[in-house]
Amino acid sequence: MAKVLVIADIKQGVLKGSTVELLSKAKAIGAETAVVAIGSNIESLIPDLAKAGSDTQYIADDPSLELFSAGPYAACVVDAARQYGANLIWFGFSESSKAVAPKVAAQLNAACATEVIDVKLSGDQIEAIRPAITNKVIQRVKVNTKQLVAVVRAGAFEATKGITGTENVVKLSPPPPDLKALIKKIVSDASGEIDLADANIVVSVGRGAKDQAGVDLVKELAKDLKAGFGSSRAMVDAGLMAHNKQVGQTGKIVAPTLYVAIGISGAIQHLAGMSGSKVILAVNKDPEAPIFNVADYGIVGDLFEVVPILRDEIKKIRK
Amino acid sequence: MKILTTVKKVVDVELNIHVKDGVIIEDGLQYVINAWDESAVEASVRLKENKGAETTIVSVGGGDNSDMIRRCYAMGIEKGIHIDDPALANADSSIFAKVLQKVYEKGDYDLVITGKQAQDTDSGQTGIILAAYLGLPCVSNVIAIEVMDDKHIKVSRSGDEGTEIIELELPAVITVDVSINEPRLPQMRGIMMAKKKAIDVMDLSALGISIDDVGGAIPKSEIVEFMASKTRKAGKKYEGGAAEITAQVVSLLANEAKVL
Repeated sequence: MAKVLVIADIKQGVLKGSTVELLSKAKAIGAETAVVAIGSNIESLIPDLAKAGSDTQYIADDPSLELFSAGPYAACVVDAARQYGANLIWFGFSESSKAVAPKVAAQLNAACATEVIDVKLSGDQIEAIRPAITNKVIQRVKVNTKQLVAVVRAGAFEATKGITGTENVVKLSPPPPDLKALIKKIVSDASGEIDLADANIVVSVGRGAKDQAGVDLVKELAKDLKAGFGSSRAMVDAGLMAHNKQVGQTGKIVAPTLYVAIGISGAIQHLAGMSGSKVILAVNKDPEAPIFNVADYGIVGDLFEVVPILRDEIKKIRK
Repeated sequence: MKILTTVKKVVDVELNIHVKDGVIIEDGLQYVINAWDESAVEASVRLKENKGAETTIVSVGGGDNSDMIRRCYAMGIEKGIHIDDPALANADSSIFAKVLQKVYEKGDYDLVITGKQAQDTDSGQTGIILAAYLGLPCVSNVIAIEVMDDKHIKVSRSGDEGTEIIELELPAVITVDVSINEPRLPQMRGIMMAKKKAIDVMDLSALGISIDDVGGAIPKSEIVEFMASKTRKAGKKYEGGAAEITAQVVSLLANEAKVL
């Protein structure tokens, strides 16, 4: 019987959507489920963790775990995996997951797969499906170890309506801090903005916006739509958008219901980050911009002219 | 400070990639230095120029990597090691990490810099697994490096809640993102000098190990098939007066796509 351990995705004290999605997939493949939750002051999340579909909750709750640090977080996951006897260890997409998963795999001497879009189980044989070469091909990967540690792509699995679980809490002892990689502080740029990873609508700004005024204009559109506000790499490199706003191969890979690309040409690294979106709207001055090859709706025009009109029209519709 | 930088020769992702019968068609493929490793090389050369660090690159697998290694020399790297062996044909991240571990142990390095991921696998594991095998502290997704003293560096990491500032005790492993720097273009003088520089090429036995020492001939993860990606079809492009076409598209988004 497969045993899946899901690493709870907790951001600023809130349980994020990937947790229920991963647990839903686990139950769908007939596995037993558990979660491991790591942080400080997270005990209040236990009912949510159970409701998300886990039948055992491993809790590592300690002030020393308030700020993310790969070493201690990996130690908690390894502890839970060993206690639970997990053969599948799944992380939702996040920078923390990408830092911790390979470390966990190395300690367990297990295979590790990232950017996973599907996991198949055939008796004891585990297979992972994942894209590669900047999304140009799909790999079918055979796992030759008894355990697989996987980082699952955002939106790869769907939450099952009405899923539930049982409260069965196991407290984990906090691991020693990593004194050789001391986290001093986090310079937060979140300021309460909508998380790109689980936004239903994402509006991204590209080089066509030119400067801060352009960025601010597109940001207003994002606010109107109550959307996550993202960026192409060009705007991050220009210092106009924060690093963690970058949508693309080297940033975040998102798959919202609606993706709005404003002034973005559509380099393949950016496309790799958003081509899984359900519907794509693109606005670009250049009719030959590659973004139009993936957009469902393309508006050829100057964004400084089009965006104000978009905002008006959207306000009219939403009245 | 002695730096070991890993570089991987990878397929040029700008080109079309074709899949047939479960494998990637080699014909027409071009190979380049992995973009993330190029940033790792640039970061190493800057540490050489600013802090007098000694720089060595290591590449594992890939056949003839001399063009790529000479490019790194032309950028300013002093020494180059290439480990290649038919036994590595099916290597996964953990096998590469084991080979790199052996290379590290033969030297006296203070810092290992790897690109955060390779643009062929997009795995992002090797550097982190290497650090785990070496028992060294590791920070991934590094976007800035500051040397504090002989034994400490301060790095900025792009994390989930913002930019994390982390103090690392050396020896350590860091994996870097492309946004850390803009790699320099090799200049003519560097290119000419690179032509004459030797590359230390070794197979596994010359490195003093067997395939069993690096995890065996069977990798932990094995790619058994490649499939074509589903390409997204282009929808409709609207050109004309901004007011009309924008109104039209918003109406379609609301009524046809039903996403507003």
